[in-house]
Amino acid sequence: MAAGSEAAASGAGPARPRGRMDRFIDRIELIAAVFIGIVAADVFVTVILRYFGINIPDSYDFGQLLLGILIFWGIAATSYRGTHITVDILWANVGPRHKRMIDIFATLVLLFVVTVQTYTLFDKVVGTYNDNVLTFDLRLPTWPFFLVAWLGDVSAVLLIAVRTYRLIFHPEAMAEAAPDSRPFE
Amino acid sequence: MSSDLVAVVGFVALFALMLLRVPVGMAMGLVGVTGFGYLVGMGPALKMVGQTSMRTVTDWNFAVVPLFLLMGSFATTSGMSRELFRAANGFLGHLRGGLGIATIAACGGFAAICGSSVATAATFSRVAYPEMRRYGYPQSFATGVIAAGGTLGIMIPPSTVLAVYGLIAEQDIGKLFVAGIVPGILAVAMYMLTITAIGYARPGFLPAGPRISWTERLEGLRDVWATLLLFAFVIGGIYGGLFTATEAAGMGAGGAFLIGLARGKLSRPDILRSLLEATRTTAAVFTILIGAILFGYFLTITQTPQKVTEFLTGLGLGPYGILTLILLMYLVLGCLMDALAMIILTVPIIFPVIKQLGFDPIWFGVVIVMTVELGLIHPPVGMNIFVIKSVVEDAKISTIFYGVLPFILTDILRLIILIVFPVLALWLPSRM
Repeated sequence: MAAGSEAAASGAGPARPRGRMDRFIDRIELIAAVFIGIVAADVFVTVILRYFGINIPDSYDFGQLLLGILIFWGIAATSYRGTHITVDILWANVGPRHKRMIDIFATLVLLFVVTVQTYTLFDKVVGTYNDNVLTFDLRLPTWPFFLVAWLGDVSAVLLIAVRTYRLIFHPEAMAEAAPDSRPFE
Repeated sequence: MSSDLVAVVGFVALFALMLLRVPVGMAMGLVGVTGFGYLVGMGPALKMVGQTSMRTVTDWNFAVVPLFLLMGSFATTSGMSRELFRAANGFLGHLRGGLGIATIAACGGFAAICGSSVATAATFSRVAYPEMRRYGYPQSFATGVIAAGGTLGIMIPPSTVLAVYGLIAEQDIGKLFVAGIVPGILAVAMYMLTITAIGYARPGFLPAGPRISWTERLEGLRDVWATLLLFAFVIGGIYGGLFTATEAAGMGAGGAFLIGLARGKLSRPDILRSLLEATRTTAAVFTILIGAILFGYFLTITQTPQKVTEFLTGLGLGPYGILTLILLMYLVLGCLMDALAMIILTVPIIFPVIKQLGFDPIWFGVVIVMTVELGLIHPPVGMNIFVIKSVVEDAKISTIFYGVLPFILTDILRLIILIVFPVLALWLPSRM
């Protein structure tokens, strides 16, 4: 089941006006959203042009690399907002104090996992740079794309750290963090 | 510790973490890497994290998920559901239980362009519920119909859950989509029959709506061209071999966008909202996919799928006995987890058993989606129920569960029919 506006349910106080951090997260999400549009446009135009005998150079490679970027930046925003797919059966049946404890624990685990992932992903970026991996048609280096994707993961670590801090010290700040959205199932 | 014991400890840890609300994908990744590291060494395990994460998010086959999500998102935002309901209501609304039947027909139509149950249920809670209540339909029935109709979202292609099954089980997503068409139509027909039967069994319970003139009916029908075109374009393209599933998803997203723009139904904020919705869900789904692949290495090193296969085939229950056991397990799991998480977590373990038993993987894909779809409407998790509750605030959860009961029975019957007659799912793909 999808996470919802957990802070509201975990006893958070009245909603605060959206601050700089919230706007920053909106921007991150916007970056990922733009990339999903670009990936769709890439596929659409490539397929249409194929029927006219025209090939966009590296459209396949660009599609793949942009997909990677959009997902890591999307994960950053999703992690902060707490809209990952979770099992809520226990959480939904405990009081506000325990709800908050569960949220803090889950976020700490999330922080640990994403930190490890970010650390190990950096090796992949360095490896791609050292191996001079190029795109198929235009022979462009791919490491800058991997770097941008990795930066998405770095933002995820920072945002989860902020989330953890807010959940512990300012739970009311998380009340309006989760958007009104649920995973499409 | 033996690898068997490590596997058992791993599963216990996984369920404990998930119960403590650690995101499903993160829990799978953490347990998978830790278990793999314990058995093989932390060095290779950590190397695996970076490699697997990057490989998964840049796997072009997986692009089918965000692109179909985007198509569904554009279709939802541009109001196609309302047009479908209006058209269906024009033709069916005057029958006993007609508004319920029209809701199911419109849900079926909407499912053909949106692969999401949750989106279908949420949309029709806004579109069809007020109409049904206006004509005196009981709240339990009105919400129950929408909850059931919502499940068509993952049954009728394109379906996100079916696509994810295809990716995990390495099956042709195009064939899976085509295999879902007949069972999807069967689902629509059986839900309609259920409503008709209720209408006749309890006269006055489901009043008929007003009869609408043929002119109005045809006017309503004129508006659904966009939905028909989009469905024909996407599924026809796959069936006719014009494009792959990923390309079909991209074409569908582009098509839904252009149709919405051309009809003036997508404003700039609508476009942004659609992109954001698709992005949020994509991130959530890919987190699970990455976790599942990392967990998959742990399963491989502990030989869990082989051991589960040996155990189940050694029970002496016969193929259908084992299949029943597996489906019952899914029904129980459906009390705890959502459909997508269930598929991603269990298919790597269960799929070798299914292959060993000689069942068709495409047919099993449809069966499994049909089974997990029940989890969307049965207690205590029932995602669709909670989505409807979030829109229809004055409805009690218990009221919605009561209303959906007849449809759960219909679903079980449909599942049995599909198991007895696999041809229902396999005939169309065999013609590709």
